[in-house]
Amino acid sequence: MATVALQNISKSFDDTQVLNNINLSIEDREFIVFVGPSGCGKTTLLRIIAGLEEASEGQIIIDGEDVSSAHPVDRGISMVFQSYALYPHLSVFENIAFPLRVAKVPEAELNQRVEHAANILQLTNRLQHKPGQLSGGQRQRVAIGRSIVRNPKVFLFDEPLSNLDAALRGDMRVELASLHQDLNATMIYVTHDQVEAMTMADKIVVINGGNVEQFGTPMELYHHPETQFVAGFIGQPNMNFISSTRTASTATNCSIKADGIGALTLPVSSCVGKEGDSLCLGIRPEDLSLTSSGQGFEMQVKVLERLGGSAIAYGTINSQVSGEQSFKAVLPGDVQVSPGQHIHLQVNPDKCHLFTSQGDAMHRLKAEV
Amino acid sequence: MIDKYSALEKLGLYTAIGIFLTFMLLPFVEMLLASLRPLTHLFRSPYQFWSDDMSLQAYSDIWVTVPKLPRYIFNSVFLASMTTLICMVFVVPAAYAYARFQFRGKAVSLALFLAVNMFAGAVLLIPLYKLLRGMGLLNTYWAMIIPGAAFLVPTGIYLLKSFLEKIPKELEEAAFVDGASRLYTLRRVILPLAVPGLIVVGVYSFIGAYAQQFLFAITFNQKRDYMPLPAGIFEFIGYQEVIWNQMMAASIIGILPVLFIFLFLQKFLMAGLTAGAVKS
Repeated sequence: MATVALQNISKSFDDTQVLNNINLSIEDREFIVFVGPSGCGKTTLLRIIAGLEEASEGQIIIDGEDVSSAHPVDRGISMVFQSYALYPHLSVFENIAFPLRVAKVPEAELNQRVEHAANILQLTNRLQHKPGQLSGGQRQRVAIGRSIVRNPKVFLFDEPLSNLDAALRGDMRVELASLHQDLNATMIYVTHDQVEAMTMADKIVVINGGNVEQFGTPMELYHHPETQFVAGFIGQPNMNFISSTRTASTATNCSIKADGIGALTLPVSSCVGKEGDSLCLGIRPEDLSLTSSGQGFEMQVKVLERLGGSAIAYGTINSQVSGEQSFKAVLPGDVQVSPGQHIHLQVNPDKCHLFTSQGDAMHRLKAEV
Repeated sequence: MIDKYSALEKLGLYTAIGIFLTFMLLPFVEMLLASLRPLTHLFRSPYQFWSDDMSLQAYSDIWVTVPKLPRYIFNSVFLASMTTLICMVFVVPAAYAYARFQFRGKAVSLALFLAVNMFAGAVLLIPLYKLLRGMGLLNTYWAMIIPGAAFLVPTGIYLLKSFLEKIPKELEEAAFVDGASRLYTLRRVILPLAVPGLIVVGVYSFIGAYAQQFLFAITFNQKRDYMPLPAGIFEFIGYQEVIWNQMMAASIIGILPVLFIFLFLQKFLMAGLTAGAVKS
């Protein structure tokens, strides 16, 4: 179907720089997710790709063709909006048929294509209803139907699941993923929810403050976040950050003293600098394990969320800097811990992340991927 | 929000509403009663609210006293309808442009439109007369339609603009992404959703046109055949006497079209305004 390349895309509204020199190249049939906190510019970037917004600088190349100033239809894109943007006065059939009516597709072909889209999305017995009579999930499907009926090269989704309740969102995630396999299309999906990003994406683009923080597969981002921002954004529950000081380093490891945890030696490269430098240690809550008292470090549990298979402990560890520091740990589901209790945790240095004071990650040598 | 009023407050509220309604409606009641009385009994003293000699006689006499009355009624409805139509032709594109586009002079021109409304029509009668004479439109239907529409367009733009602004922009963006042109989107998406707003503006224009045509008719038109009803009612004022009861009967008949439109559309307006609330 289509490749998409963004070259030096910048966008500013009046004096505010929203996007800063974005370069991305998206392969054919990839499911790409733009993820980032609200206001980071991800939706603006999507609207620029759609042709709803013009980039201040840079080019958009779809299938090798510069479409920077082309009409959305000529770009071969279609878009699903956050609010679905269904036409409330038209039936489901007419909503889905709208792009075909605009293109003056003959009636017989139009009928057949709408039926086909309705089939894929299980909307066949809803075609005569008005959008107001449908549930949230069905409206979502109509919006998708309107975008697939035109056979676009690239699908754009702007936070399409954010209006749905949690259970429906889970179902729609699976449906969208299987739709992607069926349609074999390039899809670009915007969300602020890192779970959606991790579960659906072939590749994730983490955007922060108008810049691409990192572009890679979900597991690359999980195991090798390039910046502290990505490390904190990807993963649920998110990473613990502990201020640390460097005590010694070689080409393949770095010894640190972590506040409230103690001395650790991490297998990382590019650990250049001198003793006494302040660093940031990152520990994913799921990389911690319980140990007997007298070993590891101590955490005071304040809240315990039991999820069944696992439990998440929220609490604090002692800190020389600030007295206590908040800390999270994932524990076995049936762990015998109650709030207020102290537990002892240990961490495998191979699994830890280390960041410079600028927030850049050091490359982990013993990571899984 | 729950409002609870004490008995005393309620009494005060209803008294205020009662006084207000009395002032509003009493002239209409008197108009109806006067139309039912024989002329000789109109100024009877002491005043009788209801008497046995009331009849519908005046309603059949008016057609004889003023033979052109049907023509005047037709003129009134025709003038108001044409004014409304022309008004809508200008209001719809203008309101859409004000609701959706950014352009130089937007705020200034909107303010100017409001300023036009501050002048009562009477102030502009003489300049308008000269203008219409220059264009050779005096003593035609146009002399009553064009000024009428011109006075109604500004408020119409305001009304429809605020209505169009409530239609989500995303609907237009979706249509744009699907390849629809501005005009196609306006026709297939925006106007169908704006029907309640169009009705509000249409009713406002019709009633406004119906009410203001008197002034333009007696100033810009001398031809009896083109006179609307409010001007035609003058013919009940004779050399010797004023046929009050027939005049009131003709006035009531003149009010009826507007009343019907209002009663019929009021229900529709309420339903339309809620049905049009676009849930996005």
